[in-house]
Amino acid sequence: SSSSNSSQSRNAILVSHRQKGNPLLKHIRNVRWAFADIVCDYLLGQNSCALYLSLRYHLLHPDYLYYRIRELQKNFKLRVVLCHVDVEDVVKPLLEVTKTALLHDCTLLCGWSLEECGRYLETIKVYENKPADLIQGQMDTDYLSRLSHALTTVRHVNKTDVVTLGSTFGSLSSIMDASMEDLARCPGIGERKVKRLHDTFHESFKRVV
Amino acid sequence: MVLKFHEQIVSDLLEDPNGGLVVLSSGLSLPKLLSCFLSFHSQSNGSHVLLLPPHLSSSLKSLLLSLSPDLPLSEITADLPSSNRLSLYSSNRILLISPRILIVDLLTQKAQTSLISGIIFLNAHSLSESSTESFIVRIVKTFNKNASVYAFSDRPHSMVSGFAKTERTMKSLFIKKLHLWPRFQVNVSEELERDPPEVVDIRVPMSKYMVGIQKAIVEVMDACLKEMRKTNKVDVEDLTVENGLFKSFDEIVRRQLDPIWHTLGKKTKQLVSDLKTLRKLLDYLVRYDAVSYLKYLDTLRVSESFRSVWIFAESSYKVFDYAKKRVYLFARSDDTKNNKPGKKVSGKKRKLNEDDNNNDAAIAGTSSTITNNGVVLQEVLEESPKWKVLREILEEIEEERQKQASSGEALLDVEEDNNGIILVACKDERSCMQLEDCITNGSQKVMRDEWQKYLLSKVELRGVQAPQKKKPKGPKGYGILDGVVPVTPAQNAEVSSACKQEHEALLAAAAEIKRNQAKKEKDAAEDPEPQVGSRGLGKGKGRGRTRKGTARTRHSKNNDALNDTEVAKDDRPEIHGSENEGQLNEIKPAVIGNGVPGKHVDRIDDAKTDNSKQLPPVHFHALERDQPILDVLKPSVIIVYHPDMTFVREIEVYKAENPGKKVKVYFLFYDASTEVQKFEASIRRENGAFESLIRQKSMMMIPVDQNDLCLGVNSSSELQGSSSQNSITRKAGGRKDAEKEMKVIVDMREFMSSLPNVLHQKGMRIIPVTLEVGDYVLSPLICVERKSIQDLFMSFTSGRLYHQVETMVRYYRIPVLLIEFSQDKSFSFQSASDIGDDVTPTNIISKLSLLVLHFPRLRIIWSRSLHATAEIFASLKANQDEPDETKAMRVGVPSEEGIIENDVRAENYNTSAVEFLRRLPGVTDSNYRSIMDGCKSLAELALLPIENLAELMGGRKAAQTLRDFLDAKYPTLL
Repeated sequence: SSSSNSSQSRNAILVSHRQKGNPLLKHIRNVRWAFADIVCDYLLGQNSCALYLSLRYHLLHPDYLYYRIRELQKNFKLRVVLCHVDVEDVVKPLLEVTKTALLHDCTLLCGWSLEECGRYLETIKVYENKPADLIQGQMDTDYLSRLSHALTTVRHVNKTDVVTLGSTFGSLSSIMDASMEDLARCPGIGERKVKRLHDTFHESFKRVV
Repeated sequence: MVLKFHEQIVSDLLEDPNGGLVVLSSGLSLPKLLSCFLSFHSQSNGSHVLLLPPHLSSSLKSLLLSLSPDLPLSEITADLPSSNRLSLYSSNRILLISPRILIVDLLTQKAQTSLISGIIFLNAHSLSESSTESFIVRIVKTFNKNASVYAFSDRPHSMVSGFAKTERTMKSLFIKKLHLWPRFQVNVSEELERDPPEVVDIRVPMSKYMVGIQKAIVEVMDACLKEMRKTNKVDVEDLTVENGLFKSFDEIVRRQLDPIWHTLGKKTKQLVSDLKTLRKLLDYLVRYDAVSYLKYLDTLRVSESFRSVWIFAESSYKVFDYAKKRVYLFARSDDTKNNKPGKKVSGKKRKLNEDDNNNDAAIAGTSSTITNNGVVLQEVLEESPKWKVLREILEEIEEERQKQASSGEALLDVEEDNNGIILVACKDERSCMQLEDCITNGSQKVMRDEWQKYLLSKVELRGVQAPQKKKPKGPKGYGILDGVVPVTPAQNAEVSSACKQEHEALLAAAAEIKRNQAKKEKDAAEDPEPQVGSRGLGKGKGRGRTRKGTARTRHSKNNDALNDTEVAKDDRPEIHGSENEGQLNEIKPAVIGNGVPGKHVDRIDDAKTDNSKQLPPVHFHALERDQPILDVLKPSVIIVYHPDMTFVREIEVYKAENPGKKVKVYFLFYDASTEVQKFEASIRRENGAFESLIRQKSMMMIPVDQNDLCLGVNSSSELQGSSSQNSITRKAGGRKDAEKEMKVIVDMREFMSSLPNVLHQKGMRIIPVTLEVGDYVLSPLICVERKSIQDLFMSFTSGRLYHQVETMVRYYRIPVLLIEFSQDKSFSFQSASDIGDDVTPTNIISKLSLLVLHFPRLRIIWSRSLHATAEIFASLKANQDEPDETKAMRVGVPSEEGIIENDVRAENYNTSAVEFLRRLPGVTDSNYRSIMDGCKSLAELALLPIENLAELMGGRKAAQTLRDFLDAKYPTLL
């Protein structure tokens, strides 16, 4: 169905005519979009599409989602059900939507406002060919962030403590080798933190052999 | 000796075979009560009791054994092989075990419910309907209706937080009876007040600057609170500075704000965290010495300045300013009349300064001349006023003792006091070490050492930090915190150059110290006191003032001594606060001008630290340690350096247990300080909690036939109209349902959360195993990774989620990410205003979208609450096969590791160390296991040479990365 060929349409979200009048469209601003004759509601890329569902609508037409999903057939790798959470009492309708989506190979995304729903569509389009490093844990590489990334694994150790530890001991290896007493001398580091830090560093990785 | 009221509590408690909940005042010795209870209980029915302290089991064990050595206590830990556990469970002993281990053993039927005759909890205040503890009780109770459940708490104020908390806790533990034992209960107060200890209440005046700092912090706190009230989001009644002194304040605020947290602006969130910081600052003001306090402030400034609101308030400026003035003064040499040593310093300074002169000139022409004039750094090094008083008390005690000894009265004391050790109780270990240092080496030496450390840390950083010095972007308080002073560019320049000079002066002083140290090391023999030379600055000055301080202390002490006779009759130490009220008003917060007169330079001659006066033996004890120091040490003189309600009660109990013993207690309060305020408030707060509990007790609706009704209550609220009600526990309920039992495989680590409990309530069979992939396996196809909102954000950042999903996708047809919101928090990620106009990589929407794009097969469950999750699980499983635990366990386990029978790997790892390790640069998913194999602990790793690292990490490059990171010099402050 995505046979519309121009390169222009490749960089835009294609929107089904069914979505005409959906106020969500106002919030797609970072990407171009155009109406097209498509089965899904939003065509986000060659292999990805989205169906839009308002929970309120679902309450009135509980079968709607199922029929829409069935129409999609197996044409897409990523099939998003974009669910707008616009009712107060969510548990029951959301359960139904979750079940339908999950058992019919759809990925459920929830937005609590039209802005948020629109942003999901935009983002999926914009990130279409983006590598995953953003979520693979390559965080800031400067020394301080890495240090605090490591030290804050110890429960209750906060950024201020990281600064205190760093400036007191001078390097991570000295922190790791510090005695309980030295740790306890640091302002702001109380008994419990001292113990947690010390245990983390000095107890062996494996408790029993 | 067992206290009467403890016996009373135990006999009251044992009246009801079903058990009960005891709430008693803190400090009334819960461990002793427990040991009394246990010895009673184990004698009377000789059966098998389980005890569940969450983390302190081994310390509690030794404590209990020290109190009553005959108790048949055993501890069950994770490393205990399962055969040993089995025999312990059936051994009729009292077992100490963590809830997590017990629940797993119950579910795997290593522990037989029929053998468990009683369960005891010590942390009733931290239990809830969905906690593992209530899960345990439910399982035990359904199979063994006669099992009794006892719960204790000595934190009454946490028993009243939240709606009908006590009642709900009791229901979830199947407990009917509530026993309240406040300090003001007749039996308790009679027993404790029959022969109370002699109390001396000493009010130590704070130094002028301390008063100033305290006042400024309270002002800022008040401003923050006012600002918070303006948001109209929080109940105003609770927002008082007094409440703000307690940790529980955060709870109050969070409880109110959590449901709407996402709708709050950055500012409100920041206010919440600022209040926390301010509370700490107040607390540390009376606990830390002047130098450490300044250092802490410096640290705060570095780590918080860009976010905080409070730092920009005008009063905060005072905090920093006074804190500094307690340590050193910074003066231009032309307006100081002083001195030769000063010259020396400034000369040194000039050298360091030369390169900066150019800059200064460029920034502001005016200031460059000043730089040439040089500056003088005067050390003030104000000592904590309590130090002196402590020393005086000790001297006085010794004097008295000597007098007694000479007049022959010694018999009494010497016989019963073992070596007459004096107990000094402080809040934390740090204060203990420091006070000890003060007493042995003299307080000036302590201050000097702290000061040297402070200066040296400044020098170190200098080399590193020069290039990337960040300039604060000017004050950006929100205009609330009354007087954010707009700084004109001109002023700004002047200020910054003044700062620079000051910084230079500090560095010069530090350099001096360093040089002297080096020199000292070289020719220690020839010249023993080069250090003194650099520090002779304010010599001879502040003596007058110090004297004055002393006089004053003496004065107030005499007052108290006079009062003592009256006081002793009436004796609850708490009351003393009011006695001194007149005195409280006497000291007005000092108004401190901008120009600080020289007389504050407060140095005392070295000669003063002489050891001419003898001191009695002293033991310093940190209250944080939570050890039964009184019983061990049996002191007859106790100096309470940091007043603490719980410890006061402990002293009372100790005295009541040793009626023949003379006990004298000194309380050291900073006069008119928040320390006093906090102490008094803590008593009021506890009484208030008990009053509320007494009211609640009178209105409580506890079902008579609790076993059945409690189940009813639990289930009706959670499972409306669900047919699975009858199979509420897996085999119970009499009726065998035609529909087959649902099975869920749960990773061991998940028993920290409440979901397994709720799934079980829902009628599912829980099978605990160690899973390498995923947290829950619902069917051969469905594997679920559960993330609470906080986890979700964190594991996105760390990259953990990506890898978890990656493995799930590899091994399961339907890999599921469960995003679990918390029932009492808002159901959404962020407020509409947080979404912004553009697609930004940091936003959660972006991360989630990216995840979905990379794993199109990943399914996502958005769950409103634990209970919603359980419903969803049940409905997803409806048409699926049941999962197979042996298969699930093998999934994703590297084949060479194999599977160990009854594997409890989660328990066997130092998880925080492993997590820490995995976050170090150079460490990857593929090499962290071999690092752990080749190296015992992180401490060992820290010292491992690069060759060994390269071997363990499978490559020199990774090893180099790690080694460099470990050894990198920390770029220090300023």
